[in-house]
Amino acid sequence: MEEREKKRSVVPFGPQHPVLPEPIHLDLVLEDEKVVDVIPSIGFIHRGLEDLVKKRDFNEYVYVAERTCGICSFGHGLGYVEAVEKCMNVEVPIRAKYLRTIWSEMARIHSHLLWAGLMADAFGFENLFYQCWRLREKNLDLVEMTTGGRLIYSVNKVGGVLKDITPDMQKVILNNLSELEAELRDVYKTFMTDYSVQERTRGVGVLTKEQVHDLGCCGPYARASGVARDIRQLGYEAYGELDFEPVVSNDGDNYARCDVRLREVFQSIDLIRQAIAKIPNGELSVPVKGNPDGEAFIRIEQPRGEAIYYVEGNGTKFLNRFRLRTPTFANIPGMCETMKGCSYADIPLLVVTIDPCISCTER
Amino acid sequence: MSAKFTPKETIRVIEKDGLLREVMAMKSRGMRLSQACASYKDGKYELSYSFSDDKTLDYETLRVVCDLADRIPSIHDFYSCASFYENEMRELFGVKIELIEPDYHNKLYRIKAETPFLPEDAKAEQKKQEQEISLSGADSDLDLAQAAADEKLASGKKEEK
Amino acid sequence: MRIAMIILYLVLAPLLGGLLDGLDRRISARMQRRVGPPVLQPFYDVQKLFAKQRIVVTNSQTFLMITYLVLMVFTGCMFYSGADMLMCFFVLSTAGIFLYFAAVVTDSPYSYIGGQRELFQEMCCEPAVLLTGVGFYLLEDTFETAKIVQADRSAIVALPGFFAAFLFILTIKMRKSPFDESTSHHPHQELVKGVTTELGASNLALFQITEWYENILMLSVIALFIINKSPWSIPAAILVVLAAYFLEILIDNTSARMKSGKMLELSWAVTIAAAGVNLLILILVR
Repeated sequence: MEEREKKRSVVPFGPQHPVLPEPIHLDLVLEDEKVVDVIPSIGFIHRGLEDLVKKRDFNEYVYVAERTCGICSFGHGLGYVEAVEKCMNVEVPIRAKYLRTIWSEMARIHSHLLWAGLMADAFGFENLFYQCWRLREKNLDLVEMTTGGRLIYSVNKVGGVLKDITPDMQKVILNNLSELEAELRDVYKTFMTDYSVQERTRGVGVLTKEQVHDLGCCGPYARASGVARDIRQLGYEAYGELDFEPVVSNDGDNYARCDVRLREVFQSIDLIRQAIAKIPNGELSVPVKGNPDGEAFIRIEQPRGEAIYYVEGNGTKFLNRFRLRTPTFANIPGMCETMKGCSYADIPLLVVTIDPCISCTER
Repeated sequence: MSAKFTPKETIRVIEKDGLLREVMAMKSRGMRLSQACASYKDGKYELSYSFSDDKTLDYETLRVVCDLADRIPSIHDFYSCASFYENEMRELFGVKIELIEPDYHNKLYRIKAETPFLPEDAKAEQKKQEQEISLSGADSDLDLAQAAADEKLASGKKEEK
Repeated sequence: MRIAMIILYLVLAPLLGGLLDGLDRRISARMQRRVGPPVLQPFYDVQKLFAKQRIVVTNSQTFLMITYLVLMVFTGCMFYSGADMLMCFFVLSTAGIFLYFAAVVTDSPYSYIGGQRELFQEMCCEPAVLLTGVGFYLLEDTFETAKIVQADRSAIVALPGFFAAFLFILTIKMRKSPFDESTSHHPHQELVKGVTTELGASNLALFQITEWYENILMLSVIALFIINKSPWSIPAAILVVLAAYFLEILIDNTSARMKSGKMLELSWAVTIAAAGVNLLILILVR
């Protein structure tokens, strides 16, 4: 036993490490190249954004909520305004709901393609990484055209949206998405059938359905383990009127997670098409009077998984509490579980595979 | 049209002594711990433990309203993933949650300020209440347990060195 | 003649190596739909590295890196002077050991694990490299490169299996994906930059130059399979070498990084299947 203890070495992984997009620190206990234990720690970029809600007017705070994170920015803004609207019993115009749905799905395409690139980079496939990010650029162009921003959309407000997607824009969106879809099929094929990619993803980091449940994982990470749970099925915004099924895979390994996320991009493209076909004419927003009172929980399916927004008002224009539970927060325990017993070379993949967004996790 | 859900969303206020029992009931019903958070309202903590049913997407929140100096047991025995939430509640709001595993000792977030989300007047109130409790000697068994846990950790660290 | 060859190697190898490296980056960039850096970029990089302030973790590292370079150059000189090929390969392995030492004298875990993987890579390459020497010996009855190039016909005709095995391990030797285990050409790897993590400034420049010498030497072995006494074989050899290099770039851009266990499995399997079978046939024919 003594002998074995000696062979162990602790490799610090992060908070600054080239494969990590954001700061998370892992102390990896290694025996040769096998990981026997992992101690995660976060907390490098906590900004106390939740507390800021006490000092900012609830209308202003939308812009703070949006800046929680760069990738899921739209979702955070959406979750926050939905929670406030629920508190205040505001019914948003139907056109605004459709527009929010379209932008949500664009954010999902963006996030998943970005992730696919990072994943390719994590297993050392530089070319694939560039292809994914090139496709992401096409989607970013659409976002820029419709909102004026590329990452921070800033189109939500309490009571509706600020910008419209005109019929001309809709044509461009449909056209560009078709191009994107065609090219994405090649990328998808590479992820699914390339020998060297499968060598790195198949059977790596397996989580069973039960483990996923016990560890509280969510989103595509859970769906890759066979949990058919997609919060969009709650039918918030316009999702209730669109036709879709959760994308599920049963293997629970890295391969399944690639599969689920990439298929979700196709699903998002389909949802945008459906939404554009059905979008009614009408107002973009309704005027909002008074201040929020009471409390509300809102769940939203962010690209990374289920995000929870909790708002507690006190009748003034400042909220008493805003709470944001991000999907990464829920997925970190799952990540640590998959790392035990894996080889050191798999660590970057296992970190990237939860699609970590530490910035919004720490808020 | 795909399957849509119309889940029940409830918030149920429970006693702090009944927390572990209620959480155990949730666990046995196969609910997933969705989130846990604290908030400070009118001189009291409101702790919300939300559970979600994966099949029906029902959302049930257990709400514990407690005084600033009240000791709250950790629920990590039932939900191992709860420790992150509990560490966060303790660090940001100063909720007295006991025996969290793993315990980050208020260093989950590497910030200098102590309990930054708690207003200044509440911090003073919390100290006052704590002193009263320590004078009356209540909750001593929990204190002892926490002290034992801390000692074990400290001795473990020495051995490592 | 021999002296002339040695001097040519000393001068031209880093130039050609750097140029090929530049072309490599450019072609890779085009495969990834980028513009890519200027072809002379590797030279600019090395120039800049030399101009930087030298800060080392341990002073012995500089000595070890210089030894690594000198041994590598020495191997190349022996090869081009027409000396014993087997000797060349042994000195080449020795050079690799010095890189390993340079990596493990530092305290960095990345560098340390990188060093271990470097040894592992050597182990994967060695059978194919040694068998290549054996193959040439069986065919020409000599280990001396000077005599091998005077053969009546190209060695590849009789040694296709050895050629294939050598081509396979060339990926490992050039540290290209899927086998960029010990260090990768871009630092997005779990080991950051592996063996080269703790190398900086002039030491990193030395590593770069050594790599150029090594690449040229490896490509020269490829050329040795083609060259015979006819002068026409020389342009043919150059073409084959360029094709091999292009193949490496193509493989680099179409595959993910393998894990070390898989690398051992694949490299030995290919070596035994291709070179081994070829060897048996050679022995039977003799």
